[in-house]
Amino acid sequence: MDFPQFLQQLINGLSLGAIYALIAIGYTMVYGIIGMINFAHGEIYMIGAYIGLITITAIGTMFGCPAWLLIVSALAMAILVTCCYGWAVERFAYRPLRGSPRLVPLISAIGMSIFLQNYIAVLQTTRDLSVPELITGHLFSFTMDGFNVSMSNSRALILIVTIALMATVTIYIRSTRMGRACRACSQDIRMAGLLGIDVNKVISFTFIVGAFLAAVGGVLIGLSINKINPFIGFVAGIKAFTAAVIGGIGSIPGAMLGGALLGLIETFASAFLPTEYKDIVAFSLLILILLIRPSGLLGRPEVEKV
Amino acid sequence: MRGETGMHVVVKDAVIAALVTALLTIPLIGLRLNVESTGLVLRTEMFWPLTAILVVFFGRLILPFIRRPTLPVKIPTEKIIPKIAEYRKVWLGALLVFAVTLPFTPPGGSMLTGLTMAMIYMLLALGLNIVVGYAGLLDLGHAAFYAIGAYTYALLNQYYGLSFWQALPLAGIAAGFFGIVLGFPVLRLRGDYLAIVTLGFGEIVRLLLNNWDSLTGGPDGITNISKPTLFGWEITRRARGEGETLWQFLGVDFVNTYQLIALYFIGLLLVVVAVIVIDRLSKMPVGRAWEALREDEIACRSLGLSPTMIKLTAFSLGSMFAGFAGAFYAAYLGSVTPDSFAFIESAIILSIVVLGGMGSQRGVLLAALTLTLLPEFARDFAEYRMLIFGLVMVLMMIWRPQGLWPASRRRVELPTS
Amino acid sequence: MKAFIFKAAAFFCGLLATTMTFAQTTQTIKMAVPTALTGPVAQYGDMHRAGVRLAVEQVNEAGGILGKKIELVELDDACEPKQSPAVANKVVNDGIKFVLGHLCSGAFKPAAQIYNENDVLMVTSTATTDELSTYGYKLFFRTIGKDGQQGPAAGEYIVKKAKPKKLAIIHDKQTYGQGVATQVRKTVESLGMKPTIFEAINRGDTDYSAMITKMKQEGIDFVYYGGYHPELIVLLKQAKDLALNATWMGPEGAAVPDVKGESAEGLLVTLPPDFSKEPTNAKITEAFKAKNQDPSGAFMMTSYAAVQVLTDAIKGANSEDPFKVADYLHHNKFKTVLGEIEFTPQGDWSTARFDIFVWHKDATKTLAP
Repeated sequence: MDFPQFLQQLINGLSLGAIYALIAIGYTMVYGIIGMINFAHGEIYMIGAYIGLITITAIGTMFGCPAWLLIVSALAMAILVTCCYGWAVERFAYRPLRGSPRLVPLISAIGMSIFLQNYIAVLQTTRDLSVPELITGHLFSFTMDGFNVSMSNSRALILIVTIALMATVTIYIRSTRMGRACRACSQDIRMAGLLGIDVNKVISFTFIVGAFLAAVGGVLIGLSINKINPFIGFVAGIKAFTAAVIGGIGSIPGAMLGGALLGLIETFASAFLPTEYKDIVAFSLLILILLIRPSGLLGRPEVEKV
Repeated sequence: MRGETGMHVVVKDAVIAALVTALLTIPLIGLRLNVESTGLVLRTEMFWPLTAILVVFFGRLILPFIRRPTLPVKIPTEKIIPKIAEYRKVWLGALLVFAVTLPFTPPGGSMLTGLTMAMIYMLLALGLNIVVGYAGLLDLGHAAFYAIGAYTYALLNQYYGLSFWQALPLAGIAAGFFGIVLGFPVLRLRGDYLAIVTLGFGEIVRLLLNNWDSLTGGPDGITNISKPTLFGWEITRRARGEGETLWQFLGVDFVNTYQLIALYFIGLLLVVVAVIVIDRLSKMPVGRAWEALREDEIACRSLGLSPTMIKLTAFSLGSMFAGFAGAFYAAYLGSVTPDSFAFIESAIILSIVVLGGMGSQRGVLLAALTLTLLPEFARDFAEYRMLIFGLVMVLMMIWRPQGLWPASRRRVELPTS
Repeated sequence: MKAFIFKAAAFFCGLLATTMTFAQTTQTIKMAVPTALTGPVAQYGDMHRAGVRLAVEQVNEAGGILGKKIELVELDDACEPKQSPAVANKVVNDGIKFVLGHLCSGAFKPAAQIYNENDVLMVTSTATTDELSTYGYKLFFRTIGKDGQQGPAAGEYIVKKAKPKKLAIIHDKQTYGQGVATQVRKTVESLGMKPTIFEAINRGDTDYSAMITKMKQEGIDFVYYGGYHPELIVLLKQAKDLALNATWMGPEGAAVPDVKGESAEGLLVTLPPDFSKEPTNAKITEAFKAKNQDPSGAFMMTSYAAVQVLTDAIKGANSEDPFKVADYLHHNKFKTVLGEIEFTPQGDWSTARFDIFVWHKDATKTLAP
């Protein structure tokens, strides 16, 4: 593989990984704080994609709007509604289970995932719905050594928005009161509660941030792939979860690294091997990484206590 | 605190709740996307959202006046279940008689397919119960072993013409073997990381079955798998080879239901054997070691038990039962596809174990029956079937986090001095 | 003792049989329509159902057959081989003797075996894979061409008309997609062209850019895709984004209204001829239009014809016995909306034909030059 092809694959891989990373942050933050795998998170992302499409269809049919305005309003609406869903899922399915054995909220999450998937399927049909092509054209396209390297605007948008959001989240967690509370809870949730941090509020906040990022991811992927169905959340959820684990679950920079890495692994695996084997390569690497570093690349090793 | 709050706080609370409800319901329930020949069309259906908003708003308004002050959350304690041990044999006998006569009763006859699927899930959940319930290892890839069992029989039947009963032990051995192969390197991982590795392994198995076209037939899987025989007679409409069918021997005209009844009995037989074997195992030293390991790994190690060996036995035995279930599934359906062993299967099996009460065989059996027959009963709601299923899972966890019929822990009380 | 147990069992079975058989003396002829009501390819299911429903309505309005009305039982297999055996078992358990379907080849394969074992007659108007007619099923018929007829049509067009420099053939590994892609490969290879890439993709994926970059690297200028439209739409879009200068071609599974927009312009598809343009079918075309359905949809007419041959055969055989009906189907010619149909001993439509169409961005099609 020559340099221009390599460059193109790098672009493909990073924009794929960006979406994984956006969803992975939701997994990792929830895990970091309450130590639970929120299987319904992929569904939250899917709901974001649907709200985006509904907004676009509703506004688009009412009056002719410029594309950017449509996209912005779709994003805004999706974030608003999806955050509500993120909050509601926690409030109704997980909060009553606080303090029960570890597996109980996990099963509740699986149930919630099945529920939300079918909730959308019943309400919005199970079919593939096509999202209008609002973003066209290329950010850049040049020829190098007789090979055309390009990046479409839709992919560029994914990458730029993701990087911007991640920077925001990192800064927020690092330097605000709420962020500090989050970090305190992830260190020791009981102690944080004793010190006067409203633990319920922090947990709700975590779910809302996760839903926020997932909603953005959902809308952007809808605009880029141009079709959505109620099942996209499940597959993307598992991939993003894998990314979070590779990076070290509980660690936000780890989720970003894991997402980018998983995107690149998949892309280069399908560049060198038959495409159908890319997922096998990705999951095998997951197992391998965990065997060498049992808490992921950037995760804190668990300390065994008696 | 409630008493001190003024009316305006209550109203504010109600307005916020109504707003959230509006956001939750209006876009998804109120606006429906639909594909028509002209493209995407949005229908509005505001009845339910508006009802929900009003109910929530007024509900929140009057709630503070009717609600008693909230008590601190009670952590569920183990309930003492009345001893039925003395009557155990009678109970079990009655249950068995009921299970045997069930398919001949009209309600049982109409649910035969559901009941047989319940048997398969019982086998799977009994296996996973060893891993999760007894040994306390979180396994999210149980469907992988189910798949290995199913494909072992499917392939042996297709290429070598092995019958179900010949292939059944091999399917169990193959699944158990893969359990060891996976378990050996990964069992040193702790808690959730182990769960993730098993999830990854489950996906790898499914993808390999999907991609290895030349052997497994790719996404379309293997069809035309022989049905099991019953005492050497075939139970299909027509015998495959020169053999005789059971129906010819009995001199009755074939009705498809007979075949389902025969399959149900084979399933029942497998489940009964599995229950007895696992019950014995759990009382043997190895079974006690599983539970000891679940309670305290460090203490176990200090007492000279090898955690790796104990985990491996649990893992491979659990996988073996999944292998049996897989072989029976392949025989029952007559075809296997990789999609039948997707992650959601692992999730459902795990839900059965947790829902039944971890480590409780009777609970697991009850939960398997409930969860497989629930969609069957909800068939009238067709499209709402899985919706209800998901909701029931959440509600059951809230209602009974300890499981439907939890195991009573074995314990020895220290004498109080 | 053993004999006693068996006798007891036989007695129970007999008891059961009497309770179960009373349901069979009904005044309608039940026909099952196993199709995709849900799932990504439900659009084909719409066409399939529309064709069958219209034909059955018209038959029933004209008084039905053998003095009975036809009752359709629509079942959903979502085009998944995982779900279809359960559907087939339900058909058999409900005592239905005639099946109009299944929709997809992959889902049909395991189901067909169950029908065959239980004496259910099947007429598919949509499943094209060759495999189905190779098992020697006596009760299998289809009113659509098979991939052995479709693949060569596409392959010859590629080699003789399109003349690409470098050809890629990709498929989704399912019975249908892989089947037709393999046929195309066979044809082009026999005509002396070797595909540069022959590769599979996974159903349901959403990012194929890595593979498209690979094709670009190889300098591919013609891609044949064997599979259904959901993946094709994504492939077309991403190929355009990455500026892959290639002509795309697909089988009839790629021809639905959802394939539209700039990226779909110029896509080639092999389809059964457009029977809605035949003057003799004007009335039926009008009836479809009156229901706000597009009569030129790939499976509308073939599904209508499936009902026609089946009802004609039941009338002709003057019996509801699947074997007698099958016998009649094998030995007679049928006048249908597809023209006159005759079946081979394997149950295939002997004179099926495929035309090559160019697809446009507004999801219309014209005959390829």
